[in-house]
Amino acid sequence: MASMTVDVSPHAGRGSGPRWFWNALAHGYVWAWMAIFALPFLATLIYSLRTPDGVWTFSYYQYVFGSFRENLLLSFETTLITIVINLLIAIPAAYAIVRYPIPGKSFILSTLNLSLYTPAAVMGVSLVIAYAFLFRIPQTMIGLIGAYVVGTFPLMLVPIIVALRDLPMVFEEAARTLGATRMQTFWRVELPLLGPGISAGILLTFVIIFNEFLVTLFIAGPGLTTAALRVYNLARTAGFQPSTAALATTMQLVSFTVVLLFFHFFGSRYLKGTYLI
Amino acid sequence: MVNRLRFRRASRRGGLTHRHGALLSTYGETQMTHAPAEIAIEYEIAERSPRRWLSTPRARGMLLLAPAILVAVLFSIIPLIYLFQVSLTRESSFFFNAEYTADNYLNVFGRYRSAIIETVYLAGVASILDLVLGYPFAYILIRKIRYREFVRTMMTFPLFGPLYLAFGLFYVFLPTGPLGGVFVLLGVDIAKYLFSQAAVLFSMAVFTFPFMVMNIGAALANVDPLLEEAARTLGAKPWQIFTRVLFPLSWGGIVAGFLMCFGWNLGVFVQPQLLGSPKEQSVISLQMFLKGLVQFNYGLAAALGVLLMVMAFAVTWVSLRFSRGALGA
Repeated sequence: MASMTVDVSPHAGRGSGPRWFWNALAHGYVWAWMAIFALPFLATLIYSLRTPDGVWTFSYYQYVFGSFRENLLLSFETTLITIVINLLIAIPAAYAIVRYPIPGKSFILSTLNLSLYTPAAVMGVSLVIAYAFLFRIPQTMIGLIGAYVVGTFPLMLVPIIVALRDLPMVFEEAARTLGATRMQTFWRVELPLLGPGISAGILLTFVIIFNEFLVTLFIAGPGLTTAALRVYNLARTAGFQPSTAALATTMQLVSFTVVLLFFHFFGSRYLKGTYLI
Repeated sequence: MVNRLRFRRASRRGGLTHRHGALLSTYGETQMTHAPAEIAIEYEIAERSPRRWLSTPRARGMLLLAPAILVAVLFSIIPLIYLFQVSLTRESSFFFNAEYTADNYLNVFGRYRSAIIETVYLAGVASILDLVLGYPFAYILIRKIRYREFVRTMMTFPLFGPLYLAFGLFYVFLPTGPLGGVFVLLGVDIAKYLFSQAAVLFSMAVFTFPFMVMNIGAALANVDPLLEEAARTLGAKPWQIFTRVLFPLSWGGIVAGFLMCFGWNLGVFVQPQLLGSPKEQSVISLQMFLKGLVQFNYGLAAALGVLLMVMAFAVTWVSLRFSRGALGA
């Protein structure tokens, strides 16, 4: 019965080798992957800071505020509009799903989530055909915002549903018993308590729409080139340029700052089960 | 009177009703004495007159959901149905009087069969890479690491999109790139791998890695570490602990993670375009763009789109069944 012998030495557990070796290996593995995650960003950053002769310079960032300015502004504009519309749509919808008796709730929820599982290229091609021949709104801002909203409001919906389910009914009931109206209860009690969930929705929408280029490539006309689409267009046509790298670096820095701010204030609790972890 | 009205209104909101009842019964009998009869009368009136129908909880709930449903129907469901209709029409005939034909699908399964195979192959291999490399990562993350939040933050980099990922990796694969010296030291000719299948697979695997880690990590977090301890004390070898304890208990997370990665990888677009050879560039998404927006053969592009959509939905459906609706009700 050799397999029944119990190893009680301090290094037991791992088949062979001392424990510190396995621990170092484990941590090294995770750090190696973190290096890989950051590698493309760091490479882009380095490339944007060097001239072809190898001189370090910030001069390529003048394009970000020069010829790329309009693209960046358009990106911020579309992202902001999408976030506002998403909020207006998702908060009532989440409220209805959690608090009201709705027939066929899970079916409705899967219908709403449908666009989340549609590959971006399929969404792009279906929308470009529908916009051109069915709705007659090809290459318009309305069409672009519509595509963004339908693609991201499920991501806004999920964290708010999670937050609303976690919210005990006690607060609501207390406010109502003390004579607050429905609207007062919502604005003064529930909305502040739902803050982290709503912020999670805003974060997800921001990160995705700000960096979205594929659906945009299909449906946006020449006048609606967002910054991410500009990066794609330049990468495809002009090759690998330091000015493009500067724009890509800026976009990633903005996105990462927003993520860091969110993690600092709210942690990752409300992002569970969504796109970001 | 005002209070009574208010109470009646409150009692009509669906989900609240029974909870309010419970609340009231715990807080005092006085209100209960006259309220229920009134509620019953209100409900009868509500059900009889159509004008009052709008104030039932069900109708209010539907009203709150209406904008969301409207957006989903207008921008997701109608375009997808229209895509299916267009995929059945002969090239460009749908402008005038649509001729319906299955030609596009015959074309897709005939001439574009290699594109389908290439897409499934790339997505499959990248997802297997994710699984093999992601399982140890998830295990270490859940069991050994205290700076988990930091790792999670770093993992958001690939999620900003495959575009920056492919763009950055392009530079890494150049001999003049940031790791050029390291590759020379290792004796690897890195430029050989630019525009190759390896580069595409690597960038696809990195992009979907967080999804795999997320799913397996969620499954492993639910496995009690005491079970491993018990197995170890009873004399199990590490690989036995894996095959007999960890693997069966995290099976759901493995399948869900694999299918999620596979689903995302099926729609791969920019990695083959920036890092791949023409063979990798035959993936369905890129072909769709080429046929639809460059050659204006909408019927064929739509048929490719329907095929990709069906594959992605099937994968997602199975995946959600295994993850027990991480996203749903």
